[in-house]
Amino acid sequence: MASTRSDFGSVWSLYLWIGVGVAAVVLGAVAFTLVRYRARPGRTVSKVAERNVLEITVASLILAIVALLVFRTFHTEAKEDDSSRPDAVRIDVDAFQWGWKFTYPGQGVTVIGNSNREPNFAVPAGRPISFALTSSDVIHAMWIPGQRFKRDAIPGRVNYFDLEFDEDGREQGLCSEFCGLRHSNMHFGVWVLSNESYERWLAAHQ
Amino acid sequence: MAGGAPVIVDPERGAEERGAALERGVAWLAATDHKKTAAKVGVASLFFFLLSGLLALTMRAELAQPGLQFVSDHTYDELFTMHGSGMIYLFLTPAALGLGLYLVPLQVGAAEIAAPRLALFGFWLYLCGGIAMYSGFLTNNGAGSDTWTATIPLSNSSGTPGVGMDLWVIGVGLAVFGSLAIAVTILLTILRLRAPGMTMLRLPVFTWTMLATTFMVVASFPVLVVAMGLLLAERHLGGVFTGSTGSVVYQHLFWFYGHPVVYVMFFPFVGAVAESVATFSRKRFFGYRALIVSLLFFTALSMAVWGHHMFITGAVKNQYYSLTSTMLAVPAGIEYLDLIGTMVGGAIVFRAPMLFALGFITQFLIGGLTGIIVASPPLDYHVNGSYFVVAHFHYTLFAGSLFGLLAGFHYWWPKATGAMLRERLSKASFWVLVLGANLTFFPMFFLGYDGMPRRVADYEPKFGDLNLLSSIGAGVIALGILMVLVNMVISLRRRVPAGNDPWGAQTLEWWTSSPPPRDNFTSLPEITSYAPLLDRREREEEAAAGGGGRAAEVPA
Repeated sequence: MASTRSDFGSVWSLYLWIGVGVAAVVLGAVAFTLVRYRARPGRTVSKVAERNVLEITVASLILAIVALLVFRTFHTEAKEDDSSRPDAVRIDVDAFQWGWKFTYPGQGVTVIGNSNREPNFAVPAGRPISFALTSSDVIHAMWIPGQRFKRDAIPGRVNYFDLEFDEDGREQGLCSEFCGLRHSNMHFGVWVLSNESYERWLAAHQ
Repeated sequence: MAGGAPVIVDPERGAEERGAALERGVAWLAATDHKKTAAKVGVASLFFFLLSGLLALTMRAELAQPGLQFVSDHTYDELFTMHGSGMIYLFLTPAALGLGLYLVPLQVGAAEIAAPRLALFGFWLYLCGGIAMYSGFLTNNGAGSDTWTATIPLSNSSGTPGVGMDLWVIGVGLAVFGSLAIAVTILLTILRLRAPGMTMLRLPVFTWTMLATTFMVVASFPVLVVAMGLLLAERHLGGVFTGSTGSVVYQHLFWFYGHPVVYVMFFPFVGAVAESVATFSRKRFFGYRALIVSLLFFTALSMAVWGHHMFITGAVKNQYYSLTSTMLAVPAGIEYLDLIGTMVGGAIVFRAPMLFALGFITQFLIGGLTGIIVASPPLDYHVNGSYFVVAHFHYTLFAGSLFGLLAGFHYWWPKATGAMLRERLSKASFWVLVLGANLTFFPMFFLGYDGMPRRVADYEPKFGDLNLLSSIGAGVIALGILMVLVNMVISLRRRVPAGNDPWGAQTLEWWTSSPPPRDNFTSLPEITSYAPLLDRREREEEAAAGGGGRAAEVPA
């Protein structure tokens, strides 16, 4: 499985460049029209009011672009929704007003923190991590911008998703669903460690 | 005082004048004439626009630098909640429907709106709703502070306690119910009160956009009124939105209204832009029937895309909503084709309404194309809840809809008041607003992509520069809006009479006087198409040319 970051990157470039291309065509057409058909003495106005073949052609062209985009989206979406890796590291996340609790089931490790002292949990680089995300009170969302991914934490509901962190280092995470007074400060950190460092980290936190 | 002569004040006469003025004021407030009801909606929505805009300026002042400078966290929550709620429930929706209330009877050649008292009742409901929402600021816990969507469970009585939030819920219910009542009268007018000869396929483009708008309103607004009733019950009795599904059910109810309303705040302004573009291209609207098909397709699709607001909940079928949402590009593309097609082959005159229409066309494009991006779940997983989304919908609603509204405002103001606006001031305000809008909202795309979430009073220092740029832009917008207001005052104080048809327009409202008489028309021309006045001019030209069918010459 590739990381969500690289999945995102390829879909994003496709959408962005098609968007830029369409914008260039439309803005170019507008600019050309404004210059070419500006009012000048003696200009004769065309009486053409309908070109249904043109309308159908343009609609079909847009539909083709839509089909391409949706196909690409579905392909990636199916991959990201598939969260059933047996070899994955499991982490249960519980969001609350205004902090996070990260539990490693079967390891006896729990990291907890709030808006005054943000929690930092660790993951091994290059291995799939299976998250089970829920909330104790209101709706929060767990966002890791570096991974280009977020999911809602909904009370009474568990959302499962897999992430894979490629590079060692620290990633900043935060709550991205408005959840009340200290929402602005509901942060967390992810240490992405090598396998050995990760095992040492786990042992130290047991 | 000149010459030091004493001014003789006759107290009795003063009282009489005051009495007469009071009587006129009461008569105006109680009048059921659709033009006066629409004017009341216009005045109220302008008031709420300025108020909600001031809240935005306060937010941009706070956000100019990282850290907390002017307001507390809680005050900031009230600010963004009331800004968003005010702009959507109390400004853009009522303004869009108010425009229809004024123009639809005139465009279809009717003497009155259908059910005029229902329209007036709708206005009062809306006004009371707005006052209820804003009066939350006078209560102990302040105004509503749970975003414009009031998501459960944060919006229940333990999540957001206080009378202010109750007033918000009641206010939203009333305002939306009021908008619904106004929309119904417009829908009935189009269906039942058209002048002889005004067939459905001769309705002006703006009226068609209003018809599509009112379809969406009657299908979706009742759902929000019910949702607000349930939310109030939840806050006071409990047990409504409970369990693991309660919060998801609320979101379904909310967004079933919440997405169609986006097009309620969009279609009428497409209509206003279309009328301006046709008039100032000196040409009839291009692709009329294709536009109608695309509007109806758009309307149908708009009722089937709401789940894209819930991609990250993990509780909806993302693929379905992604497909329907991306397909919106097809009818939107047809609208663009028809707007550009109208200009092609025309003789384009750059008057103020045309500039604002062009501002709409070019800037909404950015909002629309980024809308395609957020319709893709894997992309939305990153940008949802971030400033990217804030940038996206401000490009649709501010740089798009508000520019469309201003196109309509500059276009129809002479009709409604009988006085012209100052053209140079209008054009200057246009350029100031273009600068302000892009300076304010373009940096937000980068902020969101780089990880800045919405609805926060404080942020990481690395986001400081772009936020400062955005805050400066907000100041430029304020200047532009001020110029529009000054323009209105000058226009009314030093009147330059508009005459029936200052623009050389094409639809029936320009046949009658400015402002129109109580019953709208003293006579009607023959209605031969969706551009009856243009038909008439063409017939006259043909007659003058000896019936030779020569192409129309534009007056130099």
